[in-house]
Amino acid sequence: MKNIQKIVVVLLVFMLALTACSKPATETPVVTDSDEITLVVWDQFYRPEESAVIEALNAEFEEAHPGIKIQREVKVLDDLKMTLKLALAEADGPDIAQVNQGRSDMGAMVEADLLLPLNDYLAKYSWGNVFSTSVASRNSFTADGKSFGQGNLYGVSPTAEVVGVYYNKDLFKKNRWSVPTTFEEFQELLAKIKKAGITPISFGSLDGWNAIHEFSAIQHLLVSSDYINNLTYGVNNVSFDTPENQEAAQILLDWAQAGYFTDGFPGIGYDDCNNNFKAGEGAMTITGSWFAPELMTGTDQEFGFFLLPGLSGKQTMAIGGVGVPYAIRKTTQHPDLAAEYLNWMISPRAAELWAKAGMLPAMSLPENTNVKTNNLFGETLNAWETINKINAVGHYIDWATPTFYDTLVAELQKLLGSIATPADFTAAVQRDYAQFLKEQNK
Amino acid sequence: MRKANHYPGESKWLGLLYLLPAFLIYTLFTLIPIIETFRSSFFEWSDLGRTSQWVGLQNYFNLIQDSSFIKAFTNNLIFIIFYSIIPILLGLFLASLLGRYPIPGFSFFRTVLFLPQVISMVVVGVIWRWMFNPTNGPINLFLAAIGLGHLQQAWLGSFQWALPAVGSIASWVQYGFCMVLFLAGMQRIPEEYYEASGLDGASAFHQFFLITIPGLKAEIAVALITTIVAALRVFDLVYSTTKGGPGESTLVTGYLIYRSAILNNQIGYGAAIATVLTLVILSVSFLIRRILSDRNEVV
Repeated sequence: MKNIQKIVVVLLVFMLALTACSKPATETPVVTDSDEITLVVWDQFYRPEESAVIEALNAEFEEAHPGIKIQREVKVLDDLKMTLKLALAEADGPDIAQVNQGRSDMGAMVEADLLLPLNDYLAKYSWGNVFSTSVASRNSFTADGKSFGQGNLYGVSPTAEVVGVYYNKDLFKKNRWSVPTTFEEFQELLAKIKKAGITPISFGSLDGWNAIHEFSAIQHLLVSSDYINNLTYGVNNVSFDTPENQEAAQILLDWAQAGYFTDGFPGIGYDDCNNNFKAGEGAMTITGSWFAPELMTGTDQEFGFFLLPGLSGKQTMAIGGVGVPYAIRKTTQHPDLAAEYLNWMISPRAAELWAKAGMLPAMSLPENTNVKTNNLFGETLNAWETINKINAVGHYIDWATPTFYDTLVAELQKLLGSIATPADFTAAVQRDYAQFLKEQNK
Repeated sequence: MRKANHYPGESKWLGLLYLLPAFLIYTLFTLIPIIETFRSSFFEWSDLGRTSQWVGLQNYFNLIQDSSFIKAFTNNLIFIIFYSIIPILLGLFLASLLGRYPIPGFSFFRTVLFLPQVISMVVVGVIWRWMFNPTNGPINLFLAAIGLGHLQQAWLGSFQWALPAVGSIASWVQYGFCMVLFLAGMQRIPEEYYEASGLDGASAFHQFFLITIPGLKAEIAVALITTIVAALRVFDLVYSTTKGGPGESTLVTGYLIYRSAILNNQIGYGAAIATVLTLVILSVSFLIRRILSDRNEVV
């Protein structure tokens, strides 16, 4: 008798253990009412000011579409990237999700046939009027997921980004420096600021990725837009080992050796360097428009933004692009409704809400908007509109191959640490690129 | 002398039944993943598992020729100095200071010195990134304050200093564990040994090498195994401080696995590295046990 009792206890414990590690079975049912439809949306707008924009748009969407409910799930980008691939393969996965651009995310998902091509909706909603073809190609792949920048449209991006130069207006005013209009003037300005005993460019390369921006911002002034497109999309067999890229690397190295960057920059992280800049250390910093909202609050300094000027003042490209796009799961039950939601997220109303939150919308603002633009946000918006208008939106070059990010980070650190010369740098990066092209064409 | 030919109490089978729940969880979360990793290492497996392709030993051939892997593994070996040798020496030193003679505040010192061991590695990384900050980190500020400004470095960003800097964080984390382990072991060494040798004229120095160290053999073996394993599998510390940089100067095998399998979608290749790492760790711990355990003493 005693034995049986014990066996029962053991079995109970065992069953308890199993329930503890299995998925909770009592999740909220997807359909609550027989005629109510629920759209499940996964996004990565977790920062409070971003999240508020999405909440407002979702509420307005539900109001305009009676009987439809948005079930929103927010994740940080890294979490989203890690879980989304599996979730999209499930029958009850999210109907709509933000899918990161580039080969290793969107490309892989297209290859696995998880995303719905949006070409029909592109025509239906005239999205061609909302964003340029250059923007659309960033969210496009061929149906086999192999070729980037062409083929079907798989996502629409609500926000935009541009990389340029932030400057401390108070410091500039005090020292009578003016915003340079040519790259030559910019170089002279760097020397002048250094002479005044101030750090010209607040920069730290410990985290690596922002060194890519630093290099590529200069690179974008020296190369053609065709070259950047070919390089990023892996077409027309271009090389990274070019005189222009070597020159850009040389300029970056010269800046480092002339002491134009923060002292000890190899050991400083991105956030630390931004905090220093916000606190008034350093005259300028080179980074993206996402930094603007942070510089508009909680500081007594005034900051401005300009695009890195071209050689002899000629019109040139700037690194830029659109944010993480919304895409639709191929097997969703409600493709039309999901497309309606996507259209909602890139409406003029959405543009207005993003702008009010201090972030660049990928879409134009409505005509009679009351968004304040006589501030730092206005200057980033102006920069974005300038390059967008003349089709000079460059690329994040680390999209080019699945391993390009790692290679660029490691090789740039070697360059800046004087372990490698500019020629070594371009040659090492080219090895990665050539290897990729070889496998691509296999 | 046992009379029966089985252990007293309930039957053996019921005992095994008690193990079942734990065994199932172990199987589900440890054994199956290990087997699955081993199996994946023979595939070229990009995303989502839909396009996996049997490639035999190709991943392993690529591995031997991968300069990043060689670099990462070399760094792991260097990390053994920081994870294992320095903490054990430091732990022995501190234990002999604290353990032999009663000093006031003993438990306070023991607790404080052990503290780094209980802090989460990511927190440790954040703290030390600040400590090593070139412009406003305490280390460089301290060097400047005592007139050694010329020794200031961009620690974590320097090709020369990043590895020792990250390594010293590891030493800081590990020595407390070694010390507490040795303190516990020293309780077991009979006081008479020290008394008798003292009467025979042995110095503290002799006592340390001839009584304390041999007496702590089992503890040293445990410390060696756990710290060397920690040095070989390090990931979190590197991830939260340098992410392998600058260049590849602090790249370690654990980070390379993450980079290949998670970031670059080369799951099969990452699995191959993980398999090699597992085998190395298993054989190293086996070797240490063989070398350091006495016939009549089980580690």
